[in-house]
Amino acid sequence: MTQQLAGHAPAPVTARMENHGNHMLKVAMQTGNDLFARVGSMVAYEGFVQYEPNPPAVRQIAKDWLTGEGAPLMKCSGDGLLYLADYGANVVVINLDGDGISVNATNLLAFDAHLTWGVERVKGLAKFAGQGLWNTRISGQGWVALTSRGKPIVVDCGGGEDETYVDPDALVAWSPNLKVKGKRSFRAQSLIGRGSGEAYQMAFSGQGIVVVQPSEDSTDRLRFRG
Amino acid sequence: MAREFQRGHKARISDLTAGTDLYVGVQISGPGLSFDISCFGLDADERLSDDRYFVFYNQPKSPEESLQLLGAQAGDTESFRVTLDRIPPQIKKLSFTATIDGPGQMSQIAPGYIRIVAGGEEVARYPFSGSEFSTERAVMLGDFYLKDVWRFAAVGQGFDGGLDALLRNFGGEVAEEETPAPAAQQPQAGSAPGFAPPAFGVPATPEPAQAPAAPPPPAPAPQVHAAQTIVAPVNTPPGGSPVPPPAPAPAPYGQPGQQPPPYGQAPGRTAPPPPGYGQPQAPQNPPPPPGYGQPTPPPGHGRQPPFGQAGQPAPHGAPQGAPQGAAQNPGVAAALQKFRETPTGQRWTQQNKKLVRVDLGIGGQPVLARQGSMVLYQGKVDFSYKGAGFAGRIVGNATGQEMQLMRCTGQGQVFLAENSTMLHPIELQGDAVCVSADNVLAFDESLTYEVRRIEGHGIPGGALFTMQFQGTGTIVVKTHGTPVVLPVTPTTFADCNAVVAWSAAAQVVVSSQVRMRRNSYPGDTGESVNLQFRGAPGNFIVVQPYEV
Repeated sequence: MTQQLAGHAPAPVTARMENHGNHMLKVAMQTGNDLFARVGSMVAYEGFVQYEPNPPAVRQIAKDWLTGEGAPLMKCSGDGLLYLADYGANVVVINLDGDGISVNATNLLAFDAHLTWGVERVKGLAKFAGQGLWNTRISGQGWVALTSRGKPIVVDCGGGEDETYVDPDALVAWSPNLKVKGKRSFRAQSLIGRGSGEAYQMAFSGQGIVVVQPSEDSTDRLRFRG
Repeated sequence: MAREFQRGHKARISDLTAGTDLYVGVQISGPGLSFDISCFGLDADERLSDDRYFVFYNQPKSPEESLQLLGAQAGDTESFRVTLDRIPPQIKKLSFTATIDGPGQMSQIAPGYIRIVAGGEEVARYPFSGSEFSTERAVMLGDFYLKDVWRFAAVGQGFDGGLDALLRNFGGEVAEEETPAPAAQQPQAGSAPGFAPPAFGVPATPEPAQAPAAPPPPAPAPQVHAAQTIVAPVNTPPGGSPVPPPAPAPAPYGQPGQQPPPYGQAPGRTAPPPPGYGQPQAPQNPPPPPGYGQPTPPPGHGRQPPFGQAGQPAPHGAPQGAPQGAAQNPGVAAALQKFRETPTGQRWTQQNKKLVRVDLGIGGQPVLARQGSMVLYQGKVDFSYKGAGFAGRIVGNATGQEMQLMRCTGQGQVFLAENSTMLHPIELQGDAVCVSADNVLAFDESLTYEVRRIEGHGIPGGALFTMQFQGTGTIVVKTHGTPVVLPVTPTTFADCNAVVAWSAAAQVVVSSQVRMRRNSYPGDTGESVNLQFRGAPGNFIVVQPYEV
């Protein structure tokens, strides 16, 4: 039994955040270097880690997030190893190193507490269905982990004439310097129940990247747990 | 689109790609094993007459550099660059081999592959796994051979004796003067320290019995792909490195300095069991001391660089000294590099297992796709409703074979995916394939489709229906989970709920045998209707691990 399971033992820590397999995130926690993570995303931890759901500071910044009932974030502090996952979604680890990224609220798994972050409303997308309305912009020196249902794809926007259009349900993250606007593609016939199923998209233009997941299932699983 | 080879399959390189500058990647791994992957350039008699064409870690390229060893990259354990049109005329065959360095046998290897990449696009792949081998210590994975034109053959033939036997097999008639310089070139040998240069002067056994005949004999392997229709279930973009199966070297956490993984079943190695897996006699894993923040790193963090205990307030999350060895460069772009879009060029390109891209500009015809399956597009693309028509609606309603489609027209690239199901583009060249309507994601408008009825007694509702696609073009089939593609043999059965697609030339019969059995036992086996497939060799069925 040990033989078969042994391959899944944790690898030695080499960085603050690492993938354990494709679907799990391993964070090396230490005192003074706190972490914000989605409420309910912890699957295991080793050592002494404490969790504070919805700390006041977070509530302040993210008061508008989603339903306005506070951010689904918890603050993790302590020493040890923390394992996070989101219902088997793929986890993407990014070392920001001064860059910034704009992440869809449901696709954010964890990030370093000392990063500069803020919740913002995507401009020009008022009354957008479901989600994609609120996103979190994160920048600074540190680590961010995103989730994606299925292996994501990164597309260059190129900056040419052509805009890149994304189904908002499949959008994961994008470069904050991109210009975003909403695009409705329905026509008169869509209103009588003959739509193509692609009613609106988000259009990105400028230099940067867009990260998209191969799934349009954007339900926020973790919110029901918190 | 990568063609998947099975053992014994052969193809002309020119059928796979127009290019002659090829990248050959080999991924092979196994717990506790290390491998030497080499390429033999053989003459018309299958002999290594010129040892300068034995490309391995001590001799990374051939004289005119038509063969080059590139090292590990992009998920491959070893890779080569082969420039076919620069290979000298006396070399008629290139044989790619893998040999175990140290103890172990081929049956222990994890699933691996040899693949050919041309122009950034993977064009062929031959997957293999340990179950195909037994006690062999070396394996010939694949050959490039010159028979009128260069061809590729998936060989997968094991050798008991390791590299020595291979060399002998290829007639290592090389005199001692060419013994590769030892130690001096050792830096190449990162993976195999202490591996002596292979015995070049081995007695040249003339024509060993095992010498493979020029083209490997037509294997009895099911010729699934011999038909024109190409199923390409696995197409990993070259950039996106496939995650190596169970990490070969997970040094048990908290045991610093233990490099060789103790998990290999290598005889003679008695490594302490990894902590955490509960052998009672594992005394080297004391319970974590109270107070994690003590100056002595607790056992759980033994391998970590001083993590915040150097008195530094650690302003950034980036740990000092890390990441060593981790394939993680700072920056968003670097972190996301492996998820990059693969290069364009074809009408249908599979980005990864769950995402497919269609370039509407190539071919110029519209694509019909399931409504709502677009995740992203670039360019000027118009999406419109595609109705089935009055008759189509009625048929669709009655048979359950209804597709909610949209038509994508214009110029640009559209990325299609749905609910992270796995996607499989199937290229039809005049032939036909039957797919359940639920499993169709998108297809070229040039394909014609109709609802087909499978008759048989005992099927609830009287008959089963399926969608038959015919013509020239590509259809993308989606499956939940990795499917199995079975060749049609006289005894091929499938659950009608799990079967996704089959080539239309196969005849479908409802299996009554299984039904009889169900009736004779009180309990329901749950396998209500089974379909039996019959057909000429060359037909295939696709079954998903998920019953609708």
